[in-house]
Amino acid sequence: MSSRGAVGFVANPASGKDIRRITARASVFDNQEKTAMVRRCLIGLRAMSDAPIRYLADANRLVESALAELGFDGEAVDVETNGKALDTTNAAVAMRGAGAVVTLGGDGTNRAFAKGWLDAPLIPLSTGTNNAFPVMREATTAGAAAGLLVSRRIPLEAVAERAKVIHVDIEGEPPDLALIDAVLTQDRFVGARALDDPGKLVAAMLTRADPAGVGMTSVGGFAHPLAERDDATLTLTFDRASPRRVVAALAPGRFESIGLGQTRTATLGEPMRLTGPGVLAFDGERERVLAPGQAATFRTLRDGPWVVDVRKVLTRAVACGGR
Amino acid sequence: MAEAEQRELTYVDAIIEGARTILLEQDNAFIAGEDVGGAGGVFGSYRGLLEEFGPERVVDTPISEEGIVGLGVGAAATGLRPVIDIMFMDFMGECMDEIANQMAKMRYMFGGSAKLPVTVVTMSGGGRNLAAQHSQSLEAWLCHLPGLKVVAPSTPYDAKGLLIAASRDDNPVFTVMNKMSLANRGAVPEESYEVPIGKANVVREGEDLTIITYSRMVSESLTAAEALAQDGVEAEVIDLRSLQPMDTDTVIESVAKTHRAVVVHEAVRFGGLGGEIASQIQELAFDELDAPVSRVGAPFSPVPFSAVLEQTYLPNADKIVAESRSLIGA
Amino acid sequence: MSTPSDDVLLDIHRRMVRIRTFETEAGRMAEAGKIPGALHLYVGEEAVAAGVMVHLSNEDWITSTHRGHGHLIAKGGEFDRMFAELFGRATGYCRGKGGSMHISNMDLGMLGANGIVGAGPPIAVGAAFSTKYRKTDRVAVTFFGDGASNEGSFHEAANMAALYKLPVIFVCENNGYGEYTPQAKHQAIVDVADRASGYGMPGVVVDGMDAMAVYEAADAAIERARAGDGPTLLECKTYRFFDHVGVRGMGLTYRTDEELAEWQKRDPIHLFEARLAELGVLSKDDAVAIHEEVLAEVRAGIEFAEASPTPDPDTLLDDVYA
Repeated sequence: MSSRGAVGFVANPASGKDIRRITARASVFDNQEKTAMVRRCLIGLRAMSDAPIRYLADANRLVESALAELGFDGEAVDVETNGKALDTTNAAVAMRGAGAVVTLGGDGTNRAFAKGWLDAPLIPLSTGTNNAFPVMREATTAGAAAGLLVSRRIPLEAVAERAKVIHVDIEGEPPDLALIDAVLTQDRFVGARALDDPGKLVAAMLTRADPAGVGMTSVGGFAHPLAERDDATLTLTFDRASPRRVVAALAPGRFESIGLGQTRTATLGEPMRLTGPGVLAFDGERERVLAPGQAATFRTLRDGPWVVDVRKVLTRAVACGGR
Repeated sequence: MAEAEQRELTYVDAIIEGARTILLEQDNAFIAGEDVGGAGGVFGSYRGLLEEFGPERVVDTPISEEGIVGLGVGAAATGLRPVIDIMFMDFMGECMDEIANQMAKMRYMFGGSAKLPVTVVTMSGGGRNLAAQHSQSLEAWLCHLPGLKVVAPSTPYDAKGLLIAASRDDNPVFTVMNKMSLANRGAVPEESYEVPIGKANVVREGEDLTIITYSRMVSESLTAAEALAQDGVEAEVIDLRSLQPMDTDTVIESVAKTHRAVVVHEAVRFGGLGGEIASQIQELAFDELDAPVSRVGAPFSPVPFSAVLEQTYLPNADKIVAESRSLIGA
Repeated sequence: MSTPSDDVLLDIHRRMVRIRTFETEAGRMAEAGKIPGALHLYVGEEAVAAGVMVHLSNEDWITSTHRGHGHLIAKGGEFDRMFAELFGRATGYCRGKGGSMHISNMDLGMLGANGIVGAGPPIAVGAAFSTKYRKTDRVAVTFFGDGASNEGSFHEAANMAALYKLPVIFVCENNGYGEYTPQAKHQAIVDVADRASGYGMPGVVVDGMDAMAVYEAADAAIERARAGDGPTLLECKTYRFFDHVGVRGMGLTYRTDEELAEWQKRDPIHLFEARLAELGVLSKDDAVAIHEEVLAEVRAGIEFAEASPTPDPDTLLDDVYA
């Protein structure tokens, strides 16, 4: 079945459960709350629109349970699932053409989605840890915005901003991408994933550097702020022994002093080439291993998801008359 | 020691003094249970101990019997000497796995490499209109479990002495206290002493029959014995004190003298310890018996609430007298 | 968080290989009728035991489950006395009184495998109470499954550990099945770690097939416990490659061959060896040599057990009491 004209739902059961709950007392997002959020979102959607619903059937049945509770119809996209991030990427491919997609998760969830559908119209709701990309927002009205966006055929350009993306080419391997930051570390393992040890940082590229954010964006933000809307990217190199230091929020509940090498604002498209050994971390999570001598190139372009501004959609709808 | 010069304490104060002695003598000992600290125990049996020893050693717990007994098992296996309070014996249903499958068996299952010096204090018995779930006498459950020891003090003296003995024992020992005995007074030495586990006490000598009993039924049996004496029947009364291990020698010795035996307990008669004791007597002293061993126990019914029903239910001196008379054929 | 040295990596690897080899051979022995009773084998879940235990010393306590051999091996259990116990011999760790389901070694800080699902957590709370009472920085780790997380004992223990801020690490080995019942049919949640916040402790989910994911999370949880900050619930998503009991078990069709094959693609030992080879920490040849060395040790253990005397019937009543 085509996803055209549908509203997509992806809720990541794994977000908000990694070791930062221990190391930094990061916020806890249990799956009952995620299901409750989906339910509220669906109610908002149905209040404004009869658009068909397509969703990723995750192992925790987050969306399925919410639909069942409400007695709403929805169709799971036909993809194989194994409880990994790849499920989200495959679901994104299957959802191409949908009028809006609501994601519940963190930066990682949206990154996995963008890997399957780069220019998706996204309403990202935060349920993760170091979230720079999705925002904390009440799901009820986010659902209403998704419905209005689809039913009223509101042009995306009027209510959404195109996000920057860091494209990562890895020598001899499939490419990857990041929405906020791509980092090379001296780690040897992906392990428990969370980017944890500031002493191991080598270099990073950031689409935004926000001192009010958490994670690498905070590190960049305290060194050289850069907004998402700026048509530029920030590159950093790190040096443990450097006298030039920033104190930044590396994780929720955790400030660290980090030694900086070079900090530079680069133009979009300008490459940053790095070589292994090491581990590549994207949006706060260790993801890929880089062998000794293996090259990786980071490049930021503004060709990412359309991030929908819920308030703009609703305000515009009100201006044009209610349902 | 002249009894007259001795100080008297109530049964409940004797428990406090026993518990206090344990904490004073053994650095590795602590008390844990529901309301044992701030409240001093719902029966008052730990009053003042929190103030004296602090919250590390007098530990108020959540209402989580399985967790509390597990705490005792884990702490004992790793070198402490816990005193665990299970407020009402009826609550053993909440923690029977930790009692039966962990505490009782750990040493044996581990080939002798573990030691479980845990003391459990619990309160049994009816008579206070607390109905079916707060009045039971479930000691037979415990005595059926190899690995456990079980004692049941009848007097203030025994309450303190058996509690101290339990805490010094390297095995799990249940000290089954009785809630109707709490205000009873009796001589209790101030110093630390043990009442040895496994040793019965002949509390009244007689030649005509042996009453074998424990806990609160000891005093009922003594009252019965006085009534029987009016008729010229002299009953010997044995307070078992320790139910597991049981001092069978003292029982057999007495039966060999009196040739008649009645076993008395407050617990339900069917499947109670009386059956085990009667069986042992017939196995070990069949030729000495002039009559079948008889038993006094509660009827096969939950403990009722209403005072009239509860008093009808509970064994007492009158019932012991009646059973004894029929045994003697008087 | 500490960075593991090559020695630590090799240690983790060896612990996993020791478990795999012991369990595989024990399964073979059981199917050949040489080991009596019921064996619950740990094959597939090695990364959990190894990734946690490498952080512990003999003074740290653990409680285990009916699937307990792996925990004892990772805690330092010796093959000869373990096999002797499985064979019911007098030389076994429990002198033939415990067998597979109660195998233990107090000297190694291993408070026993346990035949009762969910019995371990309260005991671990007691062990942690001990270490805190003595003012040491030792911890207690309790292993249990997704099934055991439905037992009241788990909930009572979790509440008490958090209440008293005890150094307990609750390690849930979520292998997706409570005996033969899939998780979806025994609890309405998928992440057991979600239960943690209800008790006031952090809950974390890691990939239980990835030894380093377990290692890092266990490191953080144990560090937190040693610092006196209280318990953690660490859920490791894992899978047993053998049946609930034995190797092929009762031949029930409660799970599919495809599901098993899917998990076997992520064999924790293969994954770890591949990464160690990439890092130049352990070559393929060296890994093979370790497997062979461990297998020889396992065979020696079996020989020791088979040559050992059965218990003297006169010892029947020994150790009922101290």
